[in-house]
Amino acid sequence: MRDLRIPIGLFFTLAGLILAVTGLVTQNRAPLETVNVNLYCGVSILAFGGLMLWLARRSS
Amino acid sequence: MTLAPVDYLILSLYFAFVLGIGWLVKRKVTTSEDFLTSGRSVPVWITSLAFIAANLGAQEVIGMCASGAKYGIMTAHFYWIGAVPAMLFVGVFMMPFYYGSRARSVPEYLKLRFDEKTRALNAATFAVMTVFSSGISMYALGLLFQLVLGWSFTASVLLSAAIVLIYTFLGGLTSAIYNEVLQFFLIVLGFAPLAIMSVLKAGGWRGMSARLPPVMTHAWSYLKEPSQNPMGVEVFGLVAGLAFVLSFGYWCTDFLVVQRAMAADSMSAARRTPLIAAFPKMIMPFIVIVPGIAALALSKMAVGYALPLKPDGGPDYDQAMTTLMAQFYPSGMLGLGLTALMASFMSGMAGNVTAFNTVWTYDLYQGYIRKRAPDSHYLLVGRITTVVGVGLSIGTAYLASHFNNIMDFLQLIFGFVNAPLFATFLLGMFWKRATGHGAFTGLLAGTLAAAATHGLTLAENKGGWLGAVIHNFPSTMAQNFWIAIFAWSTCFLVTILVSLLSRPKAEPELHNLVYGLTDIPHDPAPPWYKRPLPLAGVVIVALVILNFLFW
Repeated sequence: MRDLRIPIGLFFTLAGLILAVTGLVTQNRAPLETVNVNLYCGVSILAFGGLMLWLARRSS
Repeated sequence: MTLAPVDYLILSLYFAFVLGIGWLVKRKVTTSEDFLTSGRSVPVWITSLAFIAANLGAQEVIGMCASGAKYGIMTAHFYWIGAVPAMLFVGVFMMPFYYGSRARSVPEYLKLRFDEKTRALNAATFAVMTVFSSGISMYALGLLFQLVLGWSFTASVLLSAAIVLIYTFLGGLTSAIYNEVLQFFLIVLGFAPLAIMSVLKAGGWRGMSARLPPVMTHAWSYLKEPSQNPMGVEVFGLVAGLAFVLSFGYWCTDFLVVQRAMAADSMSAARRTPLIAAFPKMIMPFIVIVPGIAALALSKMAVGYALPLKPDGGPDYDQAMTTLMAQFYPSGMLGLGLTALMASFMSGMAGNVTAFNTVWTYDLYQGYIRKRAPDSHYLLVGRITTVVGVGLSIGTAYLASHFNNIMDFLQLIFGFVNAPLFATFLLGMFWKRATGHGAFTGLLAGTLAAAATHGLTLAENKGGWLGAVIHNFPSTMAQNFWIAIFAWSTCFLVTILVSLLSRPKAEPELHNLVYGLTDIPHDPAPPWYKRPLPLAGVVIVALVILNFLFW
């Protein structure tokens, strides 16, 4: 494996996308929380995944 | 709590990635050292995060959240004073000997420094303890998933064990370490939103402080008398027992964590591994302990949250983490949270399995069963040991069913076996006169002293099995701290005494093993953050600030 940041970045990009899309298309809400947790967390996780991929790309 | 398809999708995505990483690393493994020690080739940022993650097992995450709800912010002592100083010590002072000796494991260092019997004793007790804690962690996970999700205990234990088995079997230590980094990020990203939301809901730190007794939100203010705090400990027991003996015994001598630093690609990287790891370690209480405190605060508010009760009517703190998830995470994020829990379990278990592997293959098998065989033979033994180790863990998981508080039980084991260890290493590394006979008798005496202390004292109806009870402790935690103190002191004194009566090794034999006979390498003036000492200084400042903030 060339750079561990690539699989880690890919995982969080995909997981973030799944969450963000879930947040956009469903009305899933937790009992104690009114905000769209999936959307916010999904976007943050997506950003983290993107950062990892960007770091890996920059150093290669 | 029921899971939706999207939750299973995220869980499967994670399984696919851990197995994929194992498969990608497989090509790198051609010798037994690749498999068992990563061939000393891993970059420092990876070893540092693995160093933390290997310690961050599922019982740690659930147990710390439970302790947060039970004891409050005092629990953070297990992360701050009860971990960070020892991590600094192992990085700055001990790594030159571990890494510089070219030993492949901690027991092997003992063989080089002392003798065969000290190594055998350490290797054998370590192997047993590792399988044990892996099994206990597996048991905790199986029970939790059974309770929360209604999954079959056997199915969740076997599934998670099978995945750990496959990726460690494929890529050995490198695969475990690489996956630990993924697991570390997943634990942080999976639990941090829960911490943020639960604390906000409970009115922030200020709101929580207003609703809870002050002892729950102060780390140091209620430690003068054991009766002042729910842990039942006082300052001396905490500092000497936890922060010195137990913490140094674990972080400085436990091969599970030391192995990660020894896999680093240079001496400088090996020394910086625990120092860099100290930063995430200090932050971890905000992710795993504070939600527990928030759970307690929420249960005192009329928001519809309550800690579940145990059959005996008391609150079931071990469920704090999962009930919070059920209340704050919708389907989707819930899947990620549970995946994070699964990840913490796997990182802990893979840590145990890889450490067990190396100690069994190099210290016990190569040391005593088959000394001279081609390297491919030891690679095969390492692979088979992976399977056997996982099998033994599963067996232990079923045996572990009648211990109620996982953390207390682990502390007891640490007390008996690990507590005297640090005295042995301290004397071994910094006193060239210490001998093998001294180390061996010291270790035995220390472990016996630990057992005797437990047998002669009573706390919450635990201990006292030697008949006479000469002291009553206010809590089992206090008892464990004092067991550690007695074990360490006994080992320290006996080792010195017996060493003085026996013949020391000749000085040339101790080259690279003992302080004063080892060249401590100095890096040619790299930037400060690549040098161990300035890094350690920054860690100390951050640690002091944290403790003052939560005084």
